[in-house]
Amino acid sequence: MEFDIIIDPAKRSSNFRKDLWKYRGLFYFLSWRDILVRYKQTAVGVLWSVIRPLMTMLVFTVIFGKLAKLPADGIPYVLLVSAGMLPWQFFANAFSEASNSLISNSSMLSKVYFPRIIIPISAVMVSFIDFLISFVIMIGLMIWYKFVPSWNIVFLPLFILLATFVTIGLGLLISALNVKYRDFRYIVPFIVQFGLYVSPVGFKSDIVPEHLRFWYSMNPMVGVIDGFRWCLLGGNIAFDTTGFLISLLVSVIIFIVGFTYFRKMERSFADII
Amino acid sequence: MAVAIRVENLTKKYILRHEGGQKYVALRDVLTGSVKKAIKGEITLPSKEEFYALNNVSFELQQGERVGIIGRNGAGKSTLLKVLSRITEPTSGRISIKGRVASLLEVGTGFHPELTGRENIFLNGSILGMSKREIQSKFDEIVAFAEVERFLDTPVKRYSSGMYVRLAFAVAAHLEPEILIVDEVLAVGDSEFQKKCLGKMQDVSSSGRTVLFVSHNMAAIQNLCDKAIFLKKGEVQTIEEQRK
Repeated sequence: MEFDIIIDPAKRSSNFRKDLWKYRGLFYFLSWRDILVRYKQTAVGVLWSVIRPLMTMLVFTVIFGKLAKLPADGIPYVLLVSAGMLPWQFFANAFSEASNSLISNSSMLSKVYFPRIIIPISAVMVSFIDFLISFVIMIGLMIWYKFVPSWNIVFLPLFILLATFVTIGLGLLISALNVKYRDFRYIVPFIVQFGLYVSPVGFKSDIVPEHLRFWYSMNPMVGVIDGFRWCLLGGNIAFDTTGFLISLLVSVIIFIVGFTYFRKMERSFADII
Repeated sequence: MAVAIRVENLTKKYILRHEGGQKYVALRDVLTGSVKKAIKGEITLPSKEEFYALNNVSFELQQGERVGIIGRNGAGKSTLLKVLSRITEPTSGRISIKGRVASLLEVGTGFHPELTGRENIFLNGSILGMSKREIQSKFDEIVAFAEVERFLDTPVKRYSSGMYVRLAFAVAAHLEPEILIVDEVLAVGDSEFQKKCLGKMQDVSSSGRTVLFVSHNMAAIQNLCDKAIFLKKGEVQTIEEQRK
């Protein structure tokens, strides 16, 4: 007789892909819930998702462009900053949301079965919507400054994919750790804040001294942000291939570690959360 | 008749730590704990105690059976249901299941208070494993069963607790699994609604599906179930067949 489900801790049967397919609608519904809920009982509603990135870009342009006077090679400083801000904000929001996602949905974890991986991934998807809104603002700015992007822009989807990949990898790792060690609730905001200054958001990677370049590229967001800038502002921005490959390698490692750890820990989520 | 669920030597062990009243482990404790051990060069045993929520449980259920699980608080009923519905993994043993399982361990899991009744039906349905199309096709039935037509577009935070429970049960009741697992959820709602729920569960099983049901309400179990499993301290005491 054929059974559909075998539960046996000694032998891990793999229903993973089948279940993920069966519950695919949940990706959508969880993201939809978070988006719906976010702007309930606010006066200006969805406008917040435009105001927030706009304000951050403004502050950054003033601080780095006007006060710190960093070199911009003839590109309007606002564009330079927003091209870096775009992937960084996506990473920062998605990563923070994903890290706390399991804990904020703890009642679901302990009462219903579904592939756990859906929760952090749909948290990333929610931030992706914000990313798209910011992207539209970016296009608006480029039009305002009459800036014509080069053909490099066709590679942009690749870098968006890479940004998502890094974010999901790190999000899976930290969200699973967070279930057991709530310390990560306090570590995550720190990583995000610190990361902003060690990533080339408000400046270009060229100002980093040559001998530090290797360590600097270990930050996977360096590859992503430089890539975004190269795609959007193109032309006279050099593409640092070695740096990119290092970032890519680190991203892949983070993803594998995050995914494996998540899959290993998810069996005990309901018991320890 | 074919076997729907086979449970063999199922054991679920928890480890209880008696170290202050800490609810979760902080990274600091792990770090300082191991440093302390290294310095002292001794293994300090924080008094650990093994607790068997389920101990060597075995049984077999046929398709279409209605089974009641009875036991006092802490007998392992909820743990058994959680293991069966794959929320937590057993320590050892083996479970084989034929068919799709839906479990209703709590009424309204995943309901969001800010969302309207309509939105929550979709959300809750998809959490329980229904596809969007399935929910759409059952939507009217769910609303009629819950008797909340007038409040469909009101946030559920403004619902009375009765309405809330009715809506939540209605969504779960319209799942069409081969195996339905229900924990003590009928303690809520008025007696008329309870009757309606019991009726719904009877319908489910008369169409050849298996129902597993935990309740303290002996009358309900006698009424609904044709088999009862008595649990005591994590072990199966007796399994009784009811003849009606």
